[in-house]
Order: sequence, then structure tokens, then C-alpha cells
Amino acid sequence: MAAFESLMRQYERMVLVTALRLLGNMEDAKDASQEVFLRLYRNLRKVEASSNLSGWLYRVTVNVCHDMGRKKTASVPMEEVLEPATPGADAQESLAGAERQRVLHMSLRMLSEKERAALVLRDLEGLSTLEVAQALGSTEATVRSQISHARVKVKDFMERYFRRRV
Amino acid sequence: MSCSEWEERIALHAGGDLSPVDAEAVERHVAECATCQELLSGLRQSEELLRGAHAEPVDSAHYAAVRARVMSELAGERRPWWRQAWVYGLVAAAVLLAVSLRPRQPQTVAVMKPAPVTPVLPAPPAAHEAVRQAAAPVHRRPRRKPAVKTVETVTAPAEPLVVKLITDDPDVVIYWITGSETKGE
Repeated sequence: MAAFESLMRQYERMVLVTALRLLGNMEDAKDASQEVFLRLYRNLRKVEASSNLSGWLYRVTVNVCHDMGRKKTASVPMEEVLEPATPGADAQESLAGAERQRVLHMSLRMLSEKERAALVLRDLEGLSTLEVAQALGSTEATVRSQISHARVKVKDFMERYFRRRV
Repeated sequence: MSCSEWEERIALHAGGDLSPVDAEAVERHVAECATCQELLSGLRQSEELLRGAHAEPVDSAHYAAVRARVMSELAGERRPWWRQAWVYGLVAAAVLLAVSLRPRQPQTVAVMKPAPVTPVLPAPPAAHEAVRQAAAPVHRRPRRKPAVKTVETVTAPAEPLVVKLITDDPDVVIYWITGSETKGE
């Protein structure tokens, strides 16, 4: 059990942050992380034999989040669970920063489930397109297409929002 | 190739996902096309903003909470077998089953050994019914009526056994009667 706890500590950031980016709120992300690690414990021998623990964890995290996303539609804005802004910053500036953060996080919600997963794994987690394809059980060509569409959609969303605000 | 056909390649190029040859082709087109230059610039900017927004660290208390929940769940799963609730349920069910299937000893004895006093006198109909009910099996299997049969056998009148001996002389026949005091010729 101590060894497993040590393993959890090693991968907990990866799993929780990925779940948070996919689901958009911390409570769901914590539920998803719990489920991922319970599945890891029950399949530990099989996973260790495959010698690609992080790939397995990404795949299971995405699957668990997809399942949870289908069950739940309501979400709490992500910035509510992030650490507060640095103290001493000007109040108005802080407010504008929070608003910008909200928009940036919301831009991921505009994407389809698969586009979001591909973009999060590639651009935010830093996986290669091949690794993303393996995690999503897809082909590299499909993933590249999903990533390019997602990038354009996010750009369009941000431009529309910030142009309107200005 | 129109600008819309370049869009996918430019989006991939913005994230560094093209081969050097394809990347060079995109750069050449962008250098000549203001619309695509703007697209590439916008893509790079939005990607930077998105990365910055997600770069903020998550409070470590959230990690600790997940860890505690997982370890608690696993501790429950690893409880010794004799401390699991389902074991007690299984034992209780087994005991109930054993009690319900236990054979009823007194009823079997009544069927196999009828009371010795019944042969002397014919039992009244009520007594016959009582014996029959007492001997009734648990599993509704058709049975004989041992008490009634015993009474009929014993109360029938005893008849003497007659042995007829034929001799060489057809005029002489010897009769030997047993079961009574009489023997004759």
C-alpha cells in the first residue's frame, strides 16, 4: 500500500490536472482522479507489464472524464478552484485578469469532447501527436485533424470575445 | 491552393506539428499571404494565452484529498475476509438452509415400526387416520398404509394346512391336516 501511495504521488498531478482541463471543475476532476487510481490499483500487474504507465493513465483519465461528462452537464468555472491571484495586484487589474482566465478556460468548453481531449493532451500536457493517438485509441492523422480544428476554434472564440470587449 | 485549404496546415504549423518540408512550404505561403499571416499570428497568440491560463498550479490540498479518498477505499477493499459483511450473510443463509433441509426423524420411525398392540384389535377409523397422518411423509410421496395391512393379516381366521398323500393303491388316499390338533386319514 505504501508503494502504491508513492506511485500515486508521482502521477497525481498529471491525472488531476488533465481531468480538471477536460471536465472544467475541481469536484468532478477529483472524482475522476479517484476512479482512475482505483482502476490503476486493480489493474496494476497488467499496467506494469505494458511498461507505459503514463500512457495508460492518460487513456483511462480521458475515458473516465468522457463517462462523467456524459452524465453531468453543469460545471463550475475552473478559476474558482485555482490558487488566488498574487496579492498586491491592483483590484481592477485582478478582476480583468480573472475575466480573461474565465474566457480562456471557457474556450475549451466550446470544443467537442474529442477535440478537447486531443488539444489538452497535445498543447497543454505536451504529448506528441503519436502519444495522443495512442491515448485516445485513434490514428495520428485523425488526431492531427482534431488538433488543427480545435486550435482554429479556440482562436476564433478568443478573438470574438476580446474584440467585443474592446 | 486557396487560403482555406492552407488553414489546417497553418494550425498544425502553429503548434510545431509539421515536418520540416511542410513547415517550409507553409512559411513560404504565409510570407506571401497577409490573410494567412494573420491566421498564423492569431493561432500562436491564442495558444500562448491558453497555455498561460492553464499554467497556474492547483492547490496541493486537492491532491491530498484525492489520495486520502483512494487509500480509504482501498483499505476497505483489503479488509480481512472474516470482517467483511457478506461473510456473515453467507453463514446465516447456510444455517437456515441446513435447518430447513434437516430430515424429521420421529415421523420416519412411526412408519417403519407400527405399534405392536394394533394387530390384536382392529383400530377404530379415527386411530387409522391418526396413524396415517403421523406416518405422512414430508415430501408427499405415495405410501402404503402399514397399520391397516397388519391388522387384516392377523385378524383373518387361521385355516389348517391339508396335505394329500396319494398311494400306489388308487383306493387309498392319506390326508394330513396341520395347524390344528387333528390328523387323519
